[in-house]
Amino acid sequence: MKFRSLLAALIVSIALTPFALFSVSADNLTESCVESFDATVDYFPEKVEPRFSEGWRVSYHNNYKVVDVLTPFPGAADIDAFQYVLVQCGTPAPEGFDDALMIEVPSGALIALSTTYVPHLDDLGLLDNLIGMDSGLYVSNPEVVARFAAGDLLEVGSGPSVNVEAILDAEPALVLAFGSGSPDYDTHPTLIEAGVPVVVASDYVEGSPLGQAEWAKFIALFYNREALANEVFEAKAASYADLTALTAALSDAERPAVLWNGYLSYADAWFIPGSDSFAAQYVRDAGGMLVLGDAPEIQDTAAGVPFAFETVYEAGLDADIWMPGTFGVTTLMDFVAQDERYADFAAVTNGQVYNFDARENANGGNDYFESGVANPQLVLADLIAILHPDLLPEHELVYFRNLPKE
Amino acid sequence: MSASAAVSREPRGSAVNGRRALARRPLLFACLIAVLIAAIALSLSLGSVDIPLSDIVRALTGGEASRDAWTNIVLRFRLPKVLTAALAGAALSVGGLLMQTLFRNPLADPFVLGISSGASLGVALVILAIGAPGVALLAGFGLAGDLGIAAAASIGAGLVMLLVLLIASRIRDRVALLIVGLMLGYAVGALVSLLLFFSIPERIQAFINWGFGSFGGVTWGQMPIFAPIVIGGLLLCATLAKPLNALLLGESYAASLGVRLGRVRLAIIVGVGLMAGAVTAFCGPIGFLGIAAPHLARSLFGTSDHRITIPAALIVGALLAIAADLIAQAPGSRTVLPLNAVTALFGAPVVILAILRWRGLRASFE
Repeated sequence: MKFRSLLAALIVSIALTPFALFSVSADNLTESCVESFDATVDYFPEKVEPRFSEGWRVSYHNNYKVVDVLTPFPGAADIDAFQYVLVQCGTPAPEGFDDALMIEVPSGALIALSTTYVPHLDDLGLLDNLIGMDSGLYVSNPEVVARFAAGDLLEVGSGPSVNVEAILDAEPALVLAFGSGSPDYDTHPTLIEAGVPVVVASDYVEGSPLGQAEWAKFIALFYNREALANEVFEAKAASYADLTALTAALSDAERPAVLWNGYLSYADAWFIPGSDSFAAQYVRDAGGMLVLGDAPEIQDTAAGVPFAFETVYEAGLDADIWMPGTFGVTTLMDFVAQDERYADFAAVTNGQVYNFDARENANGGNDYFESGVANPQLVLADLIAILHPDLLPEHELVYFRNLPKE
Repeated sequence: MSASAAVSREPRGSAVNGRRALARRPLLFACLIAVLIAAIALSLSLGSVDIPLSDIVRALTGGEASRDAWTNIVLRFRLPKVLTAALAGAALSVGGLLMQTLFRNPLADPFVLGISSGASLGVALVILAIGAPGVALLAGFGLAGDLGIAAAASIGAGLVMLLVLLIASRIRDRVALLIVGLMLGYAVGALVSLLLFFSIPERIQAFINWGFGSFGGVTWGQMPIFAPIVIGGLLLCATLAKPLNALLLGESYAASLGVRLGRVRLAIIVGVGLMAGAVTAFCGPIGFLGIAAPHLARSLFGTSDHRITIPAALIVGALLAIAADLIAQAPGSRTVLPLNAVTALFGAPVVILAILRWRGLRASFE
């Protein structure tokens, strides 16, 4: 790193000589500021561009980047968008962005209000910047867990009753929050009012697993780590594509039926994932077919659609594999104890029930919703290994767990 | 004695109507029972899955429908569900009637003493607080494996009921008791919202789903627990018709008639508490029915006499619950609506109409 910064500083100083009209530095400044500004120099030679994400975009200028968050919550209109101007430190702020929050990059101390940012920070070597989160209970990243245990990280809560005083006292350079579109849950309005530099990063609004994982690039923007973000994400995307290729040629007859119902469907209403949901995309890419997947009710929506239990019972009785998305269940026996009618399902009889709680912590925090979000290639590999064990014989399940009989 | 007194409290000037209404009663009961049977039949034959009537009849009469899944759907889904709806509706309705009489308050329902909040707290603890340890805690009671959410709700409801009983035995004043019940409800509700506040969204959704209410969660395996509690509660309530009629005339008057107030009050609370606790535990917090069905029953029969209104409320409650569940199943579609939304959305106009037509409401509570 030191060598890189030295090199960068050297290059910048070369760029300042009047003869070097076309000189460009090789790297972004990930650790340092510009010491003498030259308007003709491109200070961000390393750039990112979203390929799958639809919720954000960036435009690069010589010494600043303009970042737009287009969908701070599901169904957001143009007027709800947020704009951030990321200015290379040591260079002048641009004019004409009165409504945008100006943030100096590379940024510094960070408070993350969602666990989904943590794996990106880890991948990008930015965990040292983390000084606090909303809660330490639900995070799975071992380093962050250890730092919470040691009392090195703040817990600030979230929503309108977020601990503003603690945040102001900690003086973060950046707070990453997600928007919900509901004043009951949104944290950013309170923080904006308090003058905290908060960025709304609603990665969960993305329409595809790769789109959400690509928010690694978005976070990298704030620390000039574009090069690393590209490297990390493109490797994952390539791995995802390779896995998809394994199952692409499967005929319908070769695709097992997967009953996938949403987190604890209680009694009557069973939530079946819509055709645009992550679950549906994963099952498709893993070479499976969702039970009720062709139902008109679930087409063109990412939301779960409630079906009557008897409908699901009739349609899913013979499903090869069941992903019940449940919690507090260790064995198939526990599972059937919830409702004795579960025992009728072929997947239960054949021991083909899988739950995504292999990496759930004692408080109910689930790494499937943390590192799983940043690593869709691992989730997909899990699913292919479950649906088509012959295609990935070596793979050991990461997030999913076969429910044992006892 | 007391019954005639209660009847005499019907609106002045309607004595003739009242007598006519009296003559109508057996017919009205017969009609209601016929409608109830029709509703049960309808509920068994309509559902999200289209099953031909002949298959339904065959399944019900011990034969095999043309598909195994259909036999199961009729016998193990629809039958326990309609039975649950009938029992839950009857329990909530009769419970509401008794609470309204006990507190002389037309807005009272079976949950007025904080029982449903207690059940919510139990469920919230299991679903929200700490998934696995929460279940482990229940396993200590030997219940988790079998019932899970239902067990948690029962324990929560039971604890609150115990507390109410303890307080009820010390407080003579029923208005004070009403306030204590409300306060308990608020306090326990606050604990639930604290839990909600510190929970992860996926679990909050699960808790919200429970809050929508459902009659479909009771399986045959659970029926031997659910049905006896509800039926026992109903029987206990049925024995209270006479002292309840006396209570309608005021506590001091009832006391002068030889009603042992303390004992009756305790019996009411135990009976209603058992029923409300069981229903909340197994079906979720079903709102509205407990307030509305008693009013509907009173206005249909034009009397406040509990020898009439208890069986009337029982049938009307069962009927409303089955009807609400039928609508919630949105026959013809494969989706379902949240039960609690249906009960209020379709039930409220019915009750308003009934109350507009019957002007005896005030008289029942004055």
